[in-house]
Amino acid sequence: MNALLVLLAAALLACGAVPEAHAAKKVKAAFVLLESVNDHGWTEAHHEGIQHLKKTLGDQVEVSYTENIVSPTDAERVMRDYARKGYDIVFGTTFGYMDVMAKLSLEFPGTKWDHCSGYKTTANMGNYFGRIEQGEYLAGYMSGLMGFKNVGTVATQPIPEPIRGINAFTRGLQKGLKEAGVTFDENKVNTVVWLKSWRDAQGETTLAETLAGRGHDLIRQMADTPDSAKAACAMNVPAIGYGMDVTRFGAGCSLVSTVWNWGPYYVKAVKAVADGSWKPGEYWAGFEDDIVRLSPFHASVPADVQKKVLAELEKMKAGKDESFLGPILGQDGKELYPAGSRVPDKDLLTKRFLVKGVSGSIPD
Amino acid sequence: MWADLVFLGQIAVKSSVAVALAALGELVAERSGVLNLGVEGMMLMGALAGFAAALTTGDPWLGLGAAALVGAALAGLHAFFAVALRANQVLAGLALTILGAGLSSFLGRSLAGQSGPRFRPLHLPWLSDIPVAGEIFFTQSAPAYLLYGLAPLLWYWLFRTGSGLRVRACGQGAASADAAGVNVARTRALCTVLGGALAGLGGAYLSLSYTPGWATGMTGGQGWIAVAMVVFAAWRPLGAVAGAMLFGLFQALQFWFQATGQELVPAWLLRMLPYLLTIAVLAVVQGSPSLRRRAGAPADLGRPFAREG
Repeated sequence: MNALLVLLAAALLACGAVPEAHAAKKVKAAFVLLESVNDHGWTEAHHEGIQHLKKTLGDQVEVSYTENIVSPTDAERVMRDYARKGYDIVFGTTFGYMDVMAKLSLEFPGTKWDHCSGYKTTANMGNYFGRIEQGEYLAGYMSGLMGFKNVGTVATQPIPEPIRGINAFTRGLQKGLKEAGVTFDENKVNTVVWLKSWRDAQGETTLAETLAGRGHDLIRQMADTPDSAKAACAMNVPAIGYGMDVTRFGAGCSLVSTVWNWGPYYVKAVKAVADGSWKPGEYWAGFEDDIVRLSPFHASVPADVQKKVLAELEKMKAGKDESFLGPILGQDGKELYPAGSRVPDKDLLTKRFLVKGVSGSIPD
Repeated sequence: MWADLVFLGQIAVKSSVAVALAALGELVAERSGVLNLGVEGMMLMGALAGFAAALTTGDPWLGLGAAALVGAALAGLHAFFAVALRANQVLAGLALTILGAGLSSFLGRSLAGQSGPRFRPLHLPWLSDIPVAGEIFFTQSAPAYLLYGLAPLLWYWLFRTGSGLRVRACGQGAASADAAGVNVARTRALCTVLGGALAGLGGAYLSLSYTPGWATGMTGGQGWIAVAMVVFAAWRPLGAVAGAMLFGLFQALQFWFQATGQELVPAWLLRMLPYLLTIAVLAVVQGSPSLRRRAGAPADLGRPFAREG
C-alpha cells in the first residue's frame, strides 16, 4: 500500500523534472534519484554531490534530476525520457535501477549510463560505489577505543552492502577494544537486529529504543534516515550516524557519522564525458578518493582517540585498508580468510557472512 | 520478566498512538457512512502543520491545534466531494492522500531537518506509579493521554447519546435516518471533518513526539494501517485503540526477539501478523452478511446519499 502511495506521489513529482541551467555545447547530465532530495540520508547525499558538480563545472555542465523514483518501471520511463532528450550521461542512484539501465543502455548506445551500487556493466554502462565500510571500520575503532563493548545495530536489508558495514564496524570495534585494554565478550560486541527496510522512521525508532532499553551502550545504523540516532539520543544513549552527518538533523548525541561524498566522482565522470575519455568502468573507492568521509567528532570523543582514528584514516587514504585484512573469523570462530589475505572484492560484493563478535543472524 | 513486559508494553503503546488517533477519526467518519481513504494524506499534512506551528510558536500544544485544524480542513475537502457532490468516496479519498503526500512534501522543504519543541514523557502523579499497568500506560507523552481520554468519550458519544445514534443511523440506513428527520449530509460532513482533525492529531504525534521533526513521507503508511484498524476493530472505538496497541506490540516483539537472540515467534510471522489478521477479519466480515451486520459494519458505508434516490 505504502509502495503504491510512494509510486503515485512519485508519478506526480516526476511530471516536473527540474531543469537547472541552459547554455550551448556542454555536457548534459541527468540524475534519477530514489527519494526526495531532502531525505536526510542517501538521496540528500547524492543531491549534495550534484550541487558540488554544478558549482565545480559551472556552465560546462547542464544538470537535471528527477527525485522519488522508487519503482524500476518508473525509472525506465524517466530515464528513457532523458535519453530521448539527448542527455549525454544518465546516473541512476539506487540498486533497483540496474536491470532497467542495462536494458536502456542497449537501446540508447549513444547515451552513457552510470549506475550506483550495482554490479552490471555494458558497452556504455558503468557502475560506481563507495567503500563506506571503511568509515564504519573507523567508527567502530573509535567506539572500541572509547570502551563501548555492547553495541546495538539497527540493520536494514540483509544484503551484502549493510553486512559489509556490520562486519567492518565489528572488526574496528574489536581492534579498538583490544588497544584500549578493555575486556569484552568475544562473541557479542555488536548485536544486530534487522529492520528489513531501508527507510522506516517509526520502525527505526522502535528498534533503536528497544536496543537502548535493553542496555546496549551505543546505537549504530545504516538506514536512510537519522531516526535511529535521534531515538538513541532521546534515551541518552550515544549513536553513530550513517550517510550524512546526523547531528545536522537533530541527533546531537552522535559521536561521529560516516558520510557519503559523491561530488568528486560526479565531477570526474562528467569531465571524462566532456573530453571524450569516459569509459564504462567499475568504480569502487573509499577514503583515498574522498568519496567517503567521517563527520567531525562529537566533543565527548577524547583527543587521543580522535588522533588515533585520524591516523588510521590517513593509512586508508594511502591505500592501506585493513578493514577486511585476514585473519577473518566467522561468527562460529572458524577462519574464513587466513592471516595476511584480503577478502576479495567479489566476495565483499556478493557474499553474506557475519564475523566473530556479531550477535544475531542473517535472515533470508 | 516484569521489567521486560513493562518495557515492551511502553514501546507498544508509544509506537501506536498515531495509528490509534487516526483510526478513531476514520471510525467516526465511517460510522456516519463516509469512507475516507485520505487518512495518510491528512496525517502527513497534520504532521507538517503540527511541526511548523510548534516550531514558530515554541509550543507543541499549538502544534497539535494547528494539526487538528489542517486535518479538519482537508477532511472538509473530502466531505465536499463525498457528501455535497456525492462523488465516488474511494477515488476522492485516494486523491486526498496523494494531495496530502505531495503538498506536504512540497511545503515542508524548508522545514526538513530542523529541530523544534516536542512532547516529552509526562509523569503523572499516582497514576505513573501503579506497578506494570501504570508504568506502561502512564509514562507516555501528553498526546497519549489525550488518546486515553478521547477513546471512551467517543464510545460514549456514539453508543450512549442521541446525537451518536443519529450518526450511526446515517451510516446504517441513510434513507431511514433522513425519514426520521436527521440531516444526513450535515451529519456526515461534520463526522468526516472530525475524523480529519483526529488524523491530523495522529500525524502531529509523530512529528512532535515519536519521531520528532519533519521528514517527507514520514508517516510511512500508518494512515493505511489506521484504515485497516477500523475494520479490524469492527467499528468499535475501544477496539481500534486496543488493536493499534496490539499491532504496536507485534512490531516491538519482532525487534525484541531478534535482540535477545531467542526467537520464540519468528520475526517474519510477527511482521505478517497485522496484515494477516486484517485480511482474516475482512474476509469474515465481507464473507458473511450476518456477521458483517453483527460486527457493526455500517450498511451504507461508502454510499453517497441523495433523497431522490
